Amino acid sequence: MKRRRFIAGAMCAGLLAANVGAGVLAQEATPAASGAAVEATTGQDVKMMLLPKFLGILPFDQANQGAQEAAAELGNPTAFDFVGPTAENSVAGQIEFMTNAPTAGYDVVMLSNNSGDQIVPSAVGAQEAGTKVVTWDSPIPNGEGESVFVAQVDFTETGKVMADMALSILGEDGGQFAILSASPDAANQNAWIAAMEDALEDPAYANLELLETVYGDDQSEKSYEQAQALISKHPDMELIMAPTSVGIVSAAQALQAEGLCDEIKVSGLGVPAEMLEYTQNGCAPEFALWSFVDLGYLTYYVSYMLATGDLQGVEGETFMAGRLGEYTITQDPTRPDVEALRVLMGPFTVYNIDNVEEAAG
Amino acid sequence: MGRELWRRLRSWEGLLAILLLVVLAFNVTRVPNFLTVTNQINLFQLGIEKAIVVLVMAFVIISGEIDLSVASMMGLSAAVVAALFELGVPVPLAILVALGVGAGFGLINGFFVARVGLSSLAVTLAGYVGFRGLARLLVQDRSVGGFPAWFTDLGQRGLIGPVTLSILLFAILAVVAAVALHASGFGRLAYEVGNSAPAARFSGVPVARVKIAIFTLSGLVSALAGVLMAARLGAVRASTAEGFELDIITVVLLGGVSIFGGVGTMLGVLLSTYLVLNLRNGLVIAGVTGNTQTGIIGLLLILSVLAPNLWERGRAGLRRRRPEPSLRAPPVAPAGSMPSRAATE
Repeated sequence: MKRRRFIAGAMCAGLLAANVGAGVLAQEATPAASGAAVEATTGQDVKMMLLPKFLGILPFDQANQGAQEAAAELGNPTAFDFVGPTAENSVAGQIEFMTNAPTAGYDVVMLSNNSGDQIVPSAVGAQEAGTKVVTWDSPIPNGEGESVFVAQVDFTETGKVMADMALSILGEDGGQFAILSASPDAANQNAWIAAMEDALEDPAYANLELLETVYGDDQSEKSYEQAQALISKHPDMELIMAPTSVGIVSAAQALQAEGLCDEIKVSGLGVPAEMLEYTQNGCAPEFALWSFVDLGYLTYYVSYMLATGDLQGVEGETFMAGRLGEYTITQDPTRPDVEALRVLMGPFTVYNIDNVEEAAG
Repeated sequence: MGRELWRRLRSWEGLLAILLLVVLAFNVTRVPNFLTVTNQINLFQLGIEKAIVVLVMAFVIISGEIDLSVASMMGLSAAVVAALFELGVPVPLAILVALGVGAGFGLINGFFVARVGLSSLAVTLAGYVGFRGLARLLVQDRSVGGFPAWFTDLGQRGLIGPVTLSILLFAILAVVAAVALHASGFGRLAYEVGNSAPAARFSGVPVARVKIAIFTLSGLVSALAGVLMAARLGAVRASTAEGFELDIITVVLLGGVSIFGGVGTMLGVLLSTYLVLNLRNGLVIAGVTGNTQTGIIGLLLILSVLAPNLWERGRAGLRRRRPEPSLRAPPVAPAGSMPSRAATE
């Protein structure tokens, strides 16, 4: 259902020239209505697709759980489809789902983009055919074909948090570390690494030396091999920073298998339930994450409200997202060179031996 | 007339046509927009590079050989375009170099198979590893993009109406391949070489030259497909087209081409191409996830390799009561049609 609601526009219509299009009216009217957060119209029939980078890892299952919760609250009669490619076929598979989304009648696709700008032609095609594209977790780098990005945390802050964890683990004297990332096409990881490199420019981190960045493509086996390669290649390395829930576990496993947890530590972004063991045995004293359940929940709200017309998807709109409260659509400050909108969720939680057990549940 | 229709339906192509009708019927009823031009374009566009390589792979397998290096060649040619583009070489020139690399390595494959006499399985397995290795050297762990707009537009936008360059090329190549295989001396030679290389050699067929020509074409067409893929995706990674060779070979086998060579038709290959494209399209639109898609298509392909053998054995069993029809039948019955029919077409 793609019914747009022009109520606000209609109210202003008498005040404005008659030849101004209704769409423009609605857009102009929205900022005037700001202050009062928009509430979702429940019970609308919206066909939605939740398209993660690939299926089969815990964070995406948690996002699905959050989206299910939101779907139940909003009373959408059509259950959304949680589909995704295999990890090996992520790029081509995502493009395939996106290209076929309008034909399949989806009103909105919720995408965690793993295809860099390669997804753009199909996302633009979807938008032209009337299917909204809301990104979450990982945006479309150049913003084309994207309605709005639901960011888990501020990407600049992610860089700072990773730099701080590295400093806290390596100490004031610093040391050498390497980054084990997901795929070179992953926009979120790339942005975080860039932000971390920026953060390292600060004199406070002068003693931290970044050796290199390697990629495990979010596949356990490949990440494990890459971690082992780092260990053999850099005898003085003291830390592997993995901003991916797959990479961080693989790196910890590799260190544990080689009995190196005393010399080399692991940090980065990980799911508490998967990291509990490694935090308790000292392999991964500190790591960070946000709630993927909340991210899925918020993404569903934004996507649903865009599809029903409750939100127009323009800067300055404020809305209520159920139990998470009020949010505002803003320009994305972490992609300053392109036209892109963002809803920022936050916050970060840094996990260590004191709080990991409780979070792991 | 009725008997003629029955005979045609009992052929492998007839079976494929029926299977295709079933999948089409499923798609048409399940997907409201299935028959729209956009969806038909999408359906081809998403697998177009594989479809193009399938055409040349049919020649390779009919001539009794195999080329496992096609997908690595696609990746290498895309990587060559990307690496040269990064060095500031104009894209048209980079494309020509990539096509040259494809033809050159194809020629080398053909040389080792036809002149040195190595098994094509071994030679092209080396290419499978080697070409991918070269691609990795060229692009490393990066994603190279930012190509000029005309290049990506060619890969993504319609050239004639909504029909993209890739689809147009596929259509042209399909006609060329069908004519070359069934109505030219070259096609006849390919069948003869595939049926029995020694027999062909004794009857004066330039076996080595035919094989070298086919492998060179295989490299060239794979390189072309790699360039088209780079244009469609707008970015190149070292893993571009990874794993495609098995999809390509299985589509050819599903098309009724015998893995032992000498048997198969372009009609069957085209039917199976369209069948698999439709199946994928239907599965994606029905919201089936990647793992299940792979499973379902894999199952179909297992059946496609087993069924024709069981089919022929069943028929041979029936026929055994009558006088022996042919002494030329290979040890395991060929996929699909009878050798005699291939020779007449």
